[in-house]
Amino acid sequence: MKNVIEIDNLTKYYGKHRGVTDVSFQVAEGDIFGFLGPNGAGKSTTIRSMLGLIRFQKGSIRIFDKDIRTDKEAILSEVGYMPSETMFYPAMKVKEMIQMAAEVRGKDCRKEAEKLCQRLQVDVDKKISDLSLGNRKKVGIVCAMQHRPKLFVFDEPTSGLDPLMQSEFFKLIQEYVSEGATCMLSTHVLSEIKNYCQNAAIMKEGKLLCVDSVGNITRTNAKRVKLQREGRQESYLYKGDMNELVRDLAGYDIEDILIEEPALDEIFMHFYESESN
Amino acid sequence: MFTIYKHEIKEYWKSLLIWAICVGGMGAMCILLFSSMKETMSGMTESFASMGAFSDAFGMSQLSIATLAGFYATEIGTIHGLGGAMFAAVVSANILSKEEDGHTSEFLFSLPIRREKAVFAKWSAAVSHILLFNLLCVLLYLVAIVALGEEMDFHRYFLYHIMQLLMQMEVAGICFCISAFQKKNKLGLSLGVVLLLYAYDLMARVVPDLADYKLFSPFSYANAADLFSTGEIYLAGTVLGAAVLAAGVVVAHVIYGRKDLAV
Repeated sequence: MKNVIEIDNLTKYYGKHRGVTDVSFQVAEGDIFGFLGPNGAGKSTTIRSMLGLIRFQKGSIRIFDKDIRTDKEAILSEVGYMPSETMFYPAMKVKEMIQMAAEVRGKDCRKEAEKLCQRLQVDVDKKISDLSLGNRKKVGIVCAMQHRPKLFVFDEPTSGLDPLMQSEFFKLIQEYVSEGATCMLSTHVLSEIKNYCQNAAIMKEGKLLCVDSVGNITRTNAKRVKLQREGRQESYLYKGDMNELVRDLAGYDIEDILIEEPALDEIFMHFYESESN
Repeated sequence: MFTIYKHEIKEYWKSLLIWAICVGGMGAMCILLFSSMKETMSGMTESFASMGAFSDAFGMSQLSIATLAGFYATEIGTIHGLGGAMFAAVVSANILSKEEDGHTSEFLFSLPIRREKAVFAKWSAAVSHILLFNLLCVLLYLVAIVALGEEMDFHRYFLYHIMQLLMQMEVAGICFCISAFQKKNKLGLSLGVVLLLYAYDLMARVVPDLADYKLFSPFSYANAADLFSTGEIYLAGTVLGAAVLAAGVVVAHVIYGRKDLAV
């Protein structure tokens, strides 16, 4: 499987402040690739470096086997990008905005745009300034998808969308990916990573913590133990030998007990804590 | 590139109409008032010409305000000169910085267009607006002059307006360059630069020690009184003005093409 995105030793400094340091990962064709990390981790810096919006000091970024520094126009013609802060020109109408995005690409995207607007319930006659955040996001999704690019890059695409539109958005992603597209999804919503992404990268403080399949990242031996004893409720995360856990619990006068898989955010936070230790 | 050009033309067309109607309209009304003021001003010509520094600053010592050319140079020269320069600042001061200030830079520059092409399209739109502004104003003035029925030296009239166009382009080039460096809209800064250059020109006409340095202001080579009285171009100022215009546009292209875009 060939790689659509190849990032090698990407390093970006903002003056003296670090952006990202020695970030390297690849995204294979046909993947829905998750990209996560806390605020200030360097996700947006990485994405913006990928799209040529900012210059980086070291490393290389190749998309479709082309260097972003020398072939930016050719690369961006096959990329659909939706930034986290989806802002458009306030005086324009939605349909004018969508048309402008298509015109700059030199493509007639009217059919695809119409289909997307219907599925996402976008009111094309409204002015941009009259749109809520969620509706602006939908316009951003249409602009990113209407030209059927080979690579989608979404930065927090579902924030502000209602559950129905979130579901519709992911259906669209899966349809395009099944037709050969690749998707890179930066998000704070862990369930989206778990439910839709095959692989993911986690960043923290400008460095890449790990790149692996989502299955491997979320696999854990830890268990959430909730028990009630002596009128008190206790809850803790246990990672270790299960026989030892059973032996420990046998020593208590337990009124009620529940042992279950940890919540996704616990796995995520647990992962961060173990790496930072 | 043409899409961005079209977009910028649409964004500023209301400003264009408002400024052209205000500046051109004011100028046309002044011209139409000339015939009713002509006799009054004939008697005051000598007084206006002997007001020392005030006369020098506004060219009233070079031309008779009782003639249409002199009246035009004094009154319309001030209205069109300052109004035109301010309009040039308005259309160029924020045309680049508004993308970062309005957080639209991520949308625009993730489209498949080289940044330099987008910058050139925006500059072309600013130039088009300035050309249209001058065309509309000159048309309004001409209608008023024809309606007035007075004589006018049209060779010097059109020379003045060509130099005014160059002056406005230079102002636009300076403001365009300022816009390339900014992440926020700074219209106030650009208008301040315009007023500073205007004030500098006035001072250079009044203060003998500054006379040799008046070329540093674009108003020096587009001065109505000078052009209507001599019919000659102030070459040093014009060449410097053209150089500043070119430098401003080139620097804007280079800087904006290389900078990290703020979101």
